[in-house]
Amino acid sequence: MLFRKMLRTVIRYKAQFFSMIIMIAIGTGMFLGFNMEWLSLEKDTKAFFKETNFADYRITSKDSFSKKDADKINSITGVDRTARYISVNADVKGTENMVGLTVTENPNVSGFVVTDGEAYDENSKDGIWLSDKYAENNNVHTGDEMTLTYDKLTITGKVKGLIKSGEYMICVRDESQLMPDFKLYGYAYITPKALQQSIDNMAKDEAEKNIRTDIPKTMRDDIVKETTQKIADETYQNVWHQINVISSLSKAEFTKQVEKVLDRTLLILTKDENISYSESQGEVNEGKTMGSVLPTLFLLIAVLTMVSTMHRLVANEKTQIGTLKALGFKDRRILWHYTTFALSIGIFGSVLGAVLGYFVAWFIMNPDGMMGTYIVMTDWTIQFEWWCWAVLTGIVLFLTFIGFLSTRKMLQGTASDVLKPYTPKNIRQLAIEKLSFVNHLSFGTKWNLRDILRHQSRSFMTLFGVMGCTLLIVAGLGMNDTVGKFMDMYYTDIANYSSKVQISDDAENKDALNIAEKYNGDCLASVSVQYEDNPISLDIYKMKYDTVHFLNENNDRILLPDDGALVCMRLKDEYHLNIGDEIELSPYGTSEKYIVKIKGFNRSLSKSISVSEEYAQTLRSTLKVLTYTSVYKINTVFTKTEKSKINDSFVLSVQSKEDIMKSMDSFMEIMNLFVVILIISAVILGIIVLYNLGIMSFTERYREMATLKVIGFNDRKIGNLLISQNIWLSVLGILIGIPTAYGTLALLIKMLAGEYEMSCYISLLSLLISTVLTLSVSLAVGLIIARKSRKIDMVSALKIPE
Amino acid sequence: MALVEFKDVSKIYQSGDHQQKALDNICLSIDEGKFVVILGASGAGKSTLLNLLGGLDSPTSGKITVDGKDISTLSGNELAEYRAEKVGFVFQSYNLIPTLTVKENVALVKDISRNAFDPEEMIEKVGLLDHLHNFPSELSGGEQQRVSIARAICKNPKILLCDEPTGALDSDTGVMILKLLLDMSHEYGKTIIIVTHNQNIAKMADVVIRVRNGKIKSLEEQKNPLNVQEVDW
Repeated sequence: MLFRKMLRTVIRYKAQFFSMIIMIAIGTGMFLGFNMEWLSLEKDTKAFFKETNFADYRITSKDSFSKKDADKINSITGVDRTARYISVNADVKGTENMVGLTVTENPNVSGFVVTDGEAYDENSKDGIWLSDKYAENNNVHTGDEMTLTYDKLTITGKVKGLIKSGEYMICVRDESQLMPDFKLYGYAYITPKALQQSIDNMAKDEAEKNIRTDIPKTMRDDIVKETTQKIADETYQNVWHQINVISSLSKAEFTKQVEKVLDRTLLILTKDENISYSESQGEVNEGKTMGSVLPTLFLLIAVLTMVSTMHRLVANEKTQIGTLKALGFKDRRILWHYTTFALSIGIFGSVLGAVLGYFVAWFIMNPDGMMGTYIVMTDWTIQFEWWCWAVLTGIVLFLTFIGFLSTRKMLQGTASDVLKPYTPKNIRQLAIEKLSFVNHLSFGTKWNLRDILRHQSRSFMTLFGVMGCTLLIVAGLGMNDTVGKFMDMYYTDIANYSSKVQISDDAENKDALNIAEKYNGDCLASVSVQYEDNPISLDIYKMKYDTVHFLNENNDRILLPDDGALVCMRLKDEYHLNIGDEIELSPYGTSEKYIVKIKGFNRSLSKSISVSEEYAQTLRSTLKVLTYTSVYKINTVFTKTEKSKINDSFVLSVQSKEDIMKSMDSFMEIMNLFVVILIISAVILGIIVLYNLGIMSFTERYREMATLKVIGFNDRKIGNLLISQNIWLSVLGILIGIPTAYGTLALLIKMLAGEYEMSCYISLLSLLISTVLTLSVSLAVGLIIARKSRKIDMVSALKIPE
Repeated sequence: MALVEFKDVSKIYQSGDHQQKALDNICLSIDEGKFVVILGASGAGKSTLLNLLGGLDSPTSGKITVDGKDISTLSGNELAEYRAEKVGFVFQSYNLIPTLTVKENVALVKDISRNAFDPEEMIEKVGLLDHLHNFPSELSGGEQQRVSIARAICKNPKILLCDEPTGALDSDTGVMILKLLLDMSHEYGKTIIIVTHNQNIAKMADVVIRVRNGKIKSLEEQKNPLNVQEVDW
């Protein structure tokens, strides 16, 4: 019979019952969803890296590595596998596209998985294993012929297989490209034999081109053959500038061992310094941050509202609890009866939350979803770990415990005590009310003010709900504003160029300078230097045409000084640097050390120190630097000339500002989706919290409203009283929510996108939208509840004893 | 002309398939300035009668005229206006707003009534000037009922409708409240209609209406009603 009573209690409080379930489902769903997202990303990427034999270390050198070097490294204890490795950006003939042309001497290091076509065959001389995403976006199929060109090399082959590779899990051309664009850029693996073949062809062409025509044919053939062999051998031996290694050694130990066996200092990059690894793990960490901030707020709002609602619900049932007690039901049975109410809300809410969480995680983490536009891998399993179960169980237990405590509180005392209806605490005059202006407030204002003070937990929850709703909307829109402003700032204020020209590796500085002169461009030489054991980029600019600007932390333009360096904000924060400090930098591959004086700090996409060429030259002349050209080589030219007008033999590639912006668009799309999810969830949660608490407020003030109605207040006046309380709390919630959102956003930006050195920014429009949206939610809910005042049954309401 | 007139008024409550006739073709009229007591056992229909007269409910059939105006067909808002202008209520359970002070509980009628008296004057009349800033929970039952009376009269209504006004009070306090009601109504010229099952109160009334099973059993005009001190409580 008690079970039947419980079902009827559920029906009686159906609005609260279902809203609590939805609230718990949204809170749990958002929390689990965002946390399952990073968990899945972490596990799935880890599995993919393992599956494709992702390298732990990348050793690079200006001088090519010999086979012997690779063998020496392979012989180090703790080194599992090594492979000489090439990865260069090659043009796809007949298109404007590029692919990362990749060769690995050992397919068990930095390899790939074939998703379609033939398996990798190391003896193939014409096989190309192409990125499946690139193939899909460019309508390339297995069996199709494809020609790739890099410098003087031409590689023509057949697409034998479509693949996915851990090395290109995040397939971007360089650091300036934020998001992959598979239409324009992919990757392709060829075998060392295919590389040898194309080198042979190139060598033959070179030999034939340079042979004197007055030599007899037979002799000429011999010379060509001999020269071809010589060029081919030299070229083949000089293309291996990288060795990839799978090893369990620590970086310090590995570096020590490698430098010992090769007897030279080398630039050794861990997997953390590889874009695919660092960015994907960055996504995981961002996911962890996201999962621990905003979704936790969702969960907190849901659970706290549930606590408040459950208490009120049991309080409303106090007379019934007393009746059961008076009838002779034991406390334990009554406790269980009402606790099951909370238990069932917990179970239904958590189960729905788990389902919602799965979909939220899936929405982000699926090959065609948000993450799929960024990361390419084989397995997209949504992971659900023990702690997800623990969260679900914890929520159910917590809610049950809340139900238990609320009921136990009502059960205290004798049956006759419990039979008396629950009355909230008596109100007393507050000190503030002694102020004269309080006496001039309208009756409605005083009524609402005291009601807020009388029902503090309900009022606090309403305030908290509105604040949370505002915070989520403002933070969501603010995130969009911040990224938008950052991009705008970066590509309007910083990048004053139209095209970014990559200079080919075989060009000398004079060639690069010629290109710069030809296209009125400024030069950049990026040198990998070591600072405090970490690799950073020393960017040396030769500026003449004002194509690159520098912004300080207030986003004001500053000039690149001639007597010191500009250090990026991240390095400033990480190493607590100050203007006037001197820092020591050492280029990789050399034992030279430079002392650089800090003259200012700037916002930069990469972890870098920027200096002018003039200043770089003073470093050379005043410090223990041996050679100038061995230290840096111009690799980029920025120019205001349009991409289509740039053509030079030493140009490796040209990216227009629009190309770069396009990749930003995809980034923005993901961000927009995320913001939409956040706003929709916030609005739903806001509606439910406000409705739930509004209904509670309505129920608690039912008798008072009935009295007002009897006295002669009409429905509109009573409705206005109800709405005005909602509006007050909403305005207060918004006023608290906006600065809180600003703080939360600043924290999120710092944790999520520290590498971009963004400054937190919320536009006036976003604040307006957030305010209007939150107030609209509040007003809409207030109107729905106010409509209920029409149905107040004055006769029966006033018969209820006080 | 009578202040209140009921003509063939019936009220039927529908509960599922079951119909309950709370009032059955009632006809009555009450003159202005009278002190009327409606007597009846529980479920007799006396509260329904009061609710219809107070504009808290509408009749199923028939016509109720108050001060020359038919109130039986008024809309919700019109009824609210009627309650605001014509009737003051005094309930057994006081029905004060717990979050408003004594003064504010009385003063709130000024928000809806154009002819309201000065709230402080009303509070003074009921002897609670010292409690102006107290909340209802800080007052005794009798004091709360005095606030309720002050609030009802403050609106300056034509009729004061009282539903068991002494029902929750001890005998002495009940007598005091009745005296206050009578004094106030005489002073301000109000018609008082009290619904009760207390036969003693009827001894003070100008008109005693007895209700049974939804019908008027009798309507008796008393030539010489007792005053409150003369009644043996």
